[in-house]
Amino acid sequence: MESSLLFNIATLSYLVAMVLYISYLAFKKNVIGKAASGVTYLGLVIQTIALLLRWRESYQMDIGRVPLSNLYESLVFFTWSMVLIYVIVEFKYKTRAFGAFVMPVAFLALAFINVSGVSSEITPLVPALKSNWLFYHVMISFLGYAAFGVAFAISMIYLLMDTEERGPAVNLLYALGAIVVLALLGYYMAGLGERMKTAFWMGIGVLILIWFIYLIVAGAKNRPQVFLFWSLCVTLAIGLLAAMAIDFFYLITLKHLAAGESFKKHMFESTFLNSSISIVLVSWAAVMGLFGLVWSQGMRLKNLLKQYMPAQDQLDDVTYRMIAIGWPLLTGGIITGAVWANSAWGTYWGWDPKETWSLITWFIYAIYLHARYVRGWKGTQMAVISAVGFLAVIFTYLGVNLVLSGLHSYGGMN
Amino acid sequence: MEKKKGFIDIIAEKVWKFFSSVKLAVVLLIILAIVSVIGTVIQQNEAPETYLQEYSRTTVDIFEMLGFFDMYHTWWFVLLLFLLTANLTICTLDRFPHTWKIVTAPLKPIEDDGLKAVPFKKEISFKGGMDNAREHAMKVIRARGYRIVESRGADVLHLMTQKGLFSRFGVYITHVSILLIFIGALIGAFFGFKAFLNLPEGEATKVVYLRNEPMWDKLMAAFGIAESPVILSPEAGVPAMPLGYFVRCDSFDVDYYVSPSGMPTGMPSEYHSTLSVFDLNGRKIFDKRIRVNDPLTYQGITFYQSSYGTLPNAHGKVILNIRPKNDPQARGETITFDLGQAIYVPSIDRTIKVLNFEPYALRNPATGEVMLYQSERDEYINPAVQIEVYKGKSPIYKTIVLKTDPGQPDMPENYIISYRGYWGTRYTGLQVTKDPGVWIVYAGFIMLCLGPLVAFFGSHKKLWVRIQDRKGQTVVTVAGSASKNRLGFEREFNKIVEDISA
Ligand code: HEM
Repeated sequence: MESSLLFNIATLSYLVAMVLYISYLAFKKNVIGKAASGVTYLGLVIQTIALLLRWRESYQMDIGRVPLSNLYESLVFFTWSMVLIYVIVEFKYKTRAFGAFVMPVAFLALAFINVSGVSSEITPLVPALKSNWLFYHVMISFLGYAAFGVAFAISMIYLLMDTEERGPAVNLLYALGAIVVLALLGYYMAGLGERMKTAFWMGIGVLILIWFIYLIVAGAKNRPQVFLFWSLCVTLAIGLLAAMAIDFFYLITLKHLAAGESFKKHMFESTFLNSSISIVLVSWAAVMGLFGLVWSQGMRLKNLLKQYMPAQDQLDDVTYRMIAIGWPLLTGGIITGAVWANSAWGTYWGWDPKETWSLITWFIYAIYLHARYVRGWKGTQMAVISAVGFLAVIFTYLGVNLVLSGLHSYGGMN
Repeated sequence: MEKKKGFIDIIAEKVWKFFSSVKLAVVLLIILAIVSVIGTVIQQNEAPETYLQEYSRTTVDIFEMLGFFDMYHTWWFVLLLFLLTANLTICTLDRFPHTWKIVTAPLKPIEDDGLKAVPFKKEISFKGGMDNAREHAMKVIRARGYRIVESRGADVLHLMTQKGLFSRFGVYITHVSILLIFIGALIGAFFGFKAFLNLPEGEATKVVYLRNEPMWDKLMAAFGIAESPVILSPEAGVPAMPLGYFVRCDSFDVDYYVSPSGMPTGMPSEYHSTLSVFDLNGRKIFDKRIRVNDPLTYQGITFYQSSYGTLPNAHGKVILNIRPKNDPQARGETITFDLGQAIYVPSIDRTIKVLNFEPYALRNPATGEVMLYQSERDEYINPAVQIEVYKGKSPIYKTIVLKTDPGQPDMPENYIISYRGYWGTRYTGLQVTKDPGVWIVYAGFIMLCLGPLVAFFGSHKKLWVRIQDRKGQTVVTVAGSASKNRLGFEREFNKIVEDISA
């Protein structure tokens, strides 16, 4: 299929663009920046063509329908919309500084598609999905997610710019210690069976939640904590990307994972869930090393970025604008989903996990919108809420399908 | 003399203040976001045995007490939603008069003390007298699509203008939409119901089986005001709601995707039922073929195609069509057979006997051989019927007809027998709902789509230009404010100032 080839070229372009944008920040050469933009535009054009081709292919196969109905297609569309929005921002605000943050997210998503072996076959639709609402629902939701993705990247920059000092080194030690304890506890409880595993994840969820709330309520007074949060988000992004890339090479190249075989069963098998205890230890050591590196080099990165970045209130403003784009789109996505469900089942809202998580995400961004009117909540808190919102987006998008069960067809990874 | 406030007034004021605060809204939204997670982790509305498999007895009891197995309908979750609604209502009532005043107030000339409160201002000295300044400023501002109001005083001239007043209402459109959705949902819960119906082919019913009883009926019955129409018959086990008419399933069928080589794949592409509606006297009113995503509605009650299944131990009827070979346009003759039954067909002077039925068979187009397959869940993926044709009492030949046939069935004589259906062994699964609140919810949806756009992308912008004569020197003061997008307005403002001073 010619569209798959084009998608691969687009993925490659985004990888190159990501490297170029990061080098642009590091070497401060305008040429590199221009090259980065050029490669991004090229990738976007190629991906657009690939999307259109895929649409046509589905018609040639006589199942004609919009290329937006399974996990593969929606992920591809997500990256496409995100890069599109980024390009518009780059154009409008005349700064290339965000590229180093947005392109990794775009690449991460595309890499996930490849790594996870999400089936790229054009499959026919089950009857319930044969509705025009499907198109509007998925397209609108994903455009919204993409806007939130850009908002997340900018919030990350904001939080970094906001930090004056990283705090005492003992903070890092506490954080690393917490990671060790939680990882050990996690392995131990997972060994006791499914139920304990669930209990462990719920516990982790509660802890993270308490931390988020602490950050939002008292975060501005505790900058080192905010910096820790920032380091965690960055480590998560890089770590996830790296782990999946390793999985990719390990499973596809060495183990010849059959095409279409669900990657879900094998996720992190080459790192954190490897059968060899030493590889597991090395993986965790690498994550902790990465965390330490991000934490200790954050200030250096900040100084590097400082001269490229618009003023803080402008970063805040761009984040708000992105959420002001994303939130109505998410609203529209939820509403079209509700209308569709009503026309198919006679119930516009059924509290299924996917629906509920999109509503939770919607609540979080509604909190963002109203927090501006609460006295004392300013830039820092807003950036933290925006970051938490995007974590919820990712969970709505992938976590619900991978972890929880529900109606939605993207559920099965095959 | 100031009247002393009574105790009640103080309390009322406190309550009002509490419910009009944005802080409460943020707290409620945070709580809602957090507790909503619970119901996504714990499976909702499962059978008690399922829970006991997953959790220990005590855990199940605790969860049961907290309502975690049907969390989104517990009193405390609904209470949270009510609090949010109260918050929203009172906040709106509290702020709307102020907004209304802003929107309806006429523009006033700006004076020195007013200038202090305006975020953007600039003083320019203009060469060329007040009238020239006025002319020039008007041209610059008009070019940007503002309509100007003027007022004159001694030695001073004011130009005032504003744009985007409507954007002030965006927030209210949004907030009211949430109220509408909430009201619509309540109406649905009080006066609507959700039910299901598994209706075998050929059967009719005048009741459907409830998942949710209308709250209103429950209340009325509980207070002894009116009897609930719901029928609780012990043998059915499930409460039944009378429809006020009959629905019959005339037929039901499933289509399957066909692979490029012409073989059915076993993946349903569509399922549909033909439903007929009769009044209680048995007079037919109308029928409709419903599909997934295309329901039937009668008297406010809607029937959605949702599932299907096979009846155990049911004897189906085979439907065959016989037409002349040389005339593909002919409609032919359609005959219904019991399994094993032989029927004489006068048009071809033959007796056809149906030997057996298989749910899933495929013909190898090269050899003509028919293979039988195991069909999961009793799906009729590609039914095959074996028939024997008699002339008088003597058998002539046997053949097999398939629903989808990539090859050719053996038909030696000058007519063709084809498969039309296998009737009477399946039921159609229908979702049945009545929701009189849905249109209010939809109205809310539309407003919720529009409101944020108005709120986010509109901006109430005001501009003042004061032209003064200060001892023969013409001084122009430009001032402006915007309710939204300050940075964008700042740019526009600076451009206007630049153009005026040019
Ligand atoms: C789920 C419920 C709610 C939704 C979807 C919602 C939505 C919105 C939206 C879209 C805005 C515009 C924000 C902006 O322009 O940046 C807004 C503003 C606002 N909301 Fe809400 N809101 C909700 C609940 C509430 C509640 C319960 C209150 C009660 C205090 C409230 C008070 C406000 C206020 C005071 C503003 C600012 C108004 C202004 O700009 O003058 N909201 N809301």
